[in-house]
Amino acid sequence: MNLKNFTSQKQLKTDPLAEASNSELPPKAPVLSPAEWLKANLFSNTFNSVLTILSTAAILLIIRGLLSFIFNPLRQWSATATNMRLLMTQAYPEHQYARIWVSLGFLLFLTGVSLAFWRAGRSVLLSQVGKRLLAIGSFIVLVTLLAPFSSEATIIWLIVGVFIAGTGFLLKSSREDKTTSSMTLLSGAFLLAILSLWVIPYGHHSYISTRTPKILAEPGTVAMTTKLPWTIMLVVAICSYFLGSLIRDKIDEAKGKALLSTTWLISPLFLLFLVLRDPDFDTGHLFSTDIPIFLFFSIVGSVILLWLTNPDIGEKGRVISTAILFVGFATFLFQMLMIVRILTLVLAFFALAAPTFSGQKPARIRYTKVWIGTMVILCWLITAINTPSTAKVPGDFFIGGFAITLMIFFFTMVLAFPLGVLLALARTSKFPIFRMVSTTFIEFIRGVPLITILIFFSVMVPLFLPDGMDLTEIAAVTIAFIIFEAAYLAENVRGGLQSVTRGQHEAAEAVGMTNAQKTFFIVLPQALRVAIPPMVGQIIATFKETGLLAIIGIFDFLYIARSVIPGQTEFMGSTRENLLFVSLVYLVICFSMSKASQRVEKRVGLGER
Amino acid sequence: MTSKFVKLLAVALAIGVVAAACGSDEEEAPAAAPATTAAAVATTAQVEMVADGSLLDTVQARGTLHCGVSGSAVAFSETQADGSVTGFDADYCRAVAAAVLGDANAVKFTSLTASERFTAVQSGDVDVLIRNTTWTQSRDTDVGMDFGPTTYYDGQQLMGRASDGFTANSGAADLEGAVVCTNAGTTTEKNVSEYASLAGVNITLKTFETSDEYWQGFIDGACDISTTDGSALVGRKVKQQPADEEWVIFPATPISKEPLGPTYGQNDSKWADAVNWTVYATIIADEYGVDQSNVDSAVKEGELGRLLGGDGELQTTMGLSADAFHQVIKQVGNYSDIYNRNLNPVGLYREGSANAGWKDGGLIYAPPAR
Repeated sequence: MNLKNFTSQKQLKTDPLAEASNSELPPKAPVLSPAEWLKANLFSNTFNSVLTILSTAAILLIIRGLLSFIFNPLRQWSATATNMRLLMTQAYPEHQYARIWVSLGFLLFLTGVSLAFWRAGRSVLLSQVGKRLLAIGSFIVLVTLLAPFSSEATIIWLIVGVFIAGTGFLLKSSREDKTTSSMTLLSGAFLLAILSLWVIPYGHHSYISTRTPKILAEPGTVAMTTKLPWTIMLVVAICSYFLGSLIRDKIDEAKGKALLSTTWLISPLFLLFLVLRDPDFDTGHLFSTDIPIFLFFSIVGSVILLWLTNPDIGEKGRVISTAILFVGFATFLFQMLMIVRILTLVLAFFALAAPTFSGQKPARIRYTKVWIGTMVILCWLITAINTPSTAKVPGDFFIGGFAITLMIFFFTMVLAFPLGVLLALARTSKFPIFRMVSTTFIEFIRGVPLITILIFFSVMVPLFLPDGMDLTEIAAVTIAFIIFEAAYLAENVRGGLQSVTRGQHEAAEAVGMTNAQKTFFIVLPQALRVAIPPMVGQIIATFKETGLLAIIGIFDFLYIARSVIPGQTEFMGSTRENLLFVSLVYLVICFSMSKASQRVEKRVGLGER
Repeated sequence: MTSKFVKLLAVALAIGVVAAACGSDEEEAPAAAPATTAAAVATTAQVEMVADGSLLDTVQARGTLHCGVSGSAVAFSETQADGSVTGFDADYCRAVAAAVLGDANAVKFTSLTASERFTAVQSGDVDVLIRNTTWTQSRDTDVGMDFGPTTYYDGQQLMGRASDGFTANSGAADLEGAVVCTNAGTTTEKNVSEYASLAGVNITLKTFETSDEYWQGFIDGACDISTTDGSALVGRKVKQQPADEEWVIFPATPISKEPLGPTYGQNDSKWADAVNWTVYATIIADEYGVDQSNVDSAVKEGELGRLLGGDGELQTTMGLSADAFHQVIKQVGNYSDIYNRNLNPVGLYREGSANAGWKDGGLIYAPPAR
């Protein structure tokens, strides 16, 4: 506030000669004693002093109120603890629960390897960590003294606060240049949290239907079913990080990163349909129909595409691709499997796009590989969807709670992003028809509240479907989310597209790029870089918007906390506890996403170049 | 120029293809419909073909009963911490499964909100809806539902604090100026305003999205009166009344009639008979004092013999197995078993209520098995 005057005073005291010799370096901020800092930042004049005192009092009162709410003996925290499984996965069968852990473990493994490959860790000054810990510890001590705890709780929290502050104090006085990796700190924090499962008696909560009262709350550690798997999860995460750092140096890093990105994109499809859904495959049908169709299309398609990407093929190629498209149409006139029609049409699109990707042999082979990959995913999806799940649960979907919130969020982001980019390209296109369709779509969707679209898709759309076609409510609302978010993402991307200067377009044209090449290799990469901040905002908003699912009665995280748990005889009136837990989870996730995006922005040099 | 034209044509054709894919009949692989992976998220190929027959045949062929419940109604259908569904309504779902399929556990529960419950029956997502649904004229006629026998006679009542001067004999006249809280968008809201305006008193109505929220309002003192079905009032009083307060429920005669029971799609007598007689069987067994514990050893003659024992001719003509109702009583229990197991813990007892048997002055009555 009044820092400027203060620094100038400081500078007067310093030796003018020393000042001159240091003129090459940027000026260093003066080191202030705590009293000086307080005066400069908090009590610089009467008005600021009053403001400081009033806002400190307000903050302390709010914290005191919150703490006395949380630690009130009337609070039914056992409602949240007992129903943790319900909150996370709704009614996933207990004897199949290993599937949940396998999925989580796989994702943690991917996280660990990815963190290593992208060198996410950075070195942190130990003294800096010490300062933070000291601040946190002192804050806990201060709050404990203010909060209306029982004397026993006060002592426990005081000890915790003093311990943290003491650790911080020791670290603070360590050598100036001593550093540690932020990854070490992160795994340390996780290690402490998971070790506490083994040591601290959080209380054992379980539901046993044959007992009265049904809820068992007894002192002891958390059930074995929770602490052991979590410990394994921690080990997996740490080991995969070290494994990642080892192989990072052995193989081509760019290739490894590409492989990891692809795995991130497609693994949820396999985790969901193969691991979590526990599909009941019909082996006979698989070998007699599904696999032969897959092989036929990948082999024949590869041959056709290899030939079509030949740069010398000319007009002949276009005629053939159009012919394949007509064959795709014709399949709808005859009785045949739906999968054959879909794959023929996809082949037609690949054939039509082939000239854009024509070139030397490696480029052509790469294009063929993309085709085979698409076949794998499409055939797998179509087969998996038509296979019934054997996970028998109450409810109309095999998983619920936080898992369904995450699932819908993931599919929305993965599918809304390409759709949004396409819409943005269409809206800036030269062809009036594309422009009109895209603008109408975007403006219409943006003009309607999300909840209206959700209700429309969950209630009305199933009534419009032709006979024999069945869209579950989950799929319907996922589509609703996708089109809504795509419209918003499209506008973000359009902003990015407009920031790419005319010169870039002209330069691309000057080196002989086609329109598609110019868009995909020159314009889009620059546009998306600029669009990162608004897009991350949109992603975070989407995650929070999944809470609207509770209104249309899908058993998501919020619905279970707000309606299902208070509907249990034992836990009537526990809404506020559950809502507080849910908001904490949302807060942690949204905050982490925001932090991650800031790092990405730094990495691509946004706002610096 | 030509190449651009071809590209444009290709894209136009592609749009046509997608439209065609969406509009065409799906003969062989229904769920694989439009190639969008979006649709792929959770579409399952469930073809529910009721080929002119009764739902009873469909359910027996499928081997599982699809039952619609609330999933968050205290004592009626609760979703427990392990995901299982328990409660009075849930037990009647199990009873129907025991009668129709011989296995009380062959039930797939679908939790439905109040607004989606009837659509779920009409679209065939659930075979029977046992979700504390009140039998009303418009639902029976206009909405296109048929109602089974009432399993629970409920009625809307009000609850206030004794310290505010309310007693069990209070009536509409005592409500002048009171803040009345209830669920948003339910008939309780309409009933209580009608009740107050008929008596000519002014009340302030406050509505909340979920029942737990307006109870919180009542406990915190933001509401003078809380109103909903009597069964829920009793449950809340038993579970949530603070030690230093006295909550009273009034008036003695409820201000509305809420007969709750199973509901199903209309014009399917065979299915309706199976559901109705499952309920009647639990009531008849209760009249004879035959319950879960003694059903195997009880002497079965006369009406009991026709219902539970012997060659079960009455049951086989309905399309059920001969021992269908024996299985109901054995696996789930008679009316008293179901009632006491689920409703006693929340302070609801049959004695002296409308849900006592007809011989004890209640309304629970079944036609004879003959």
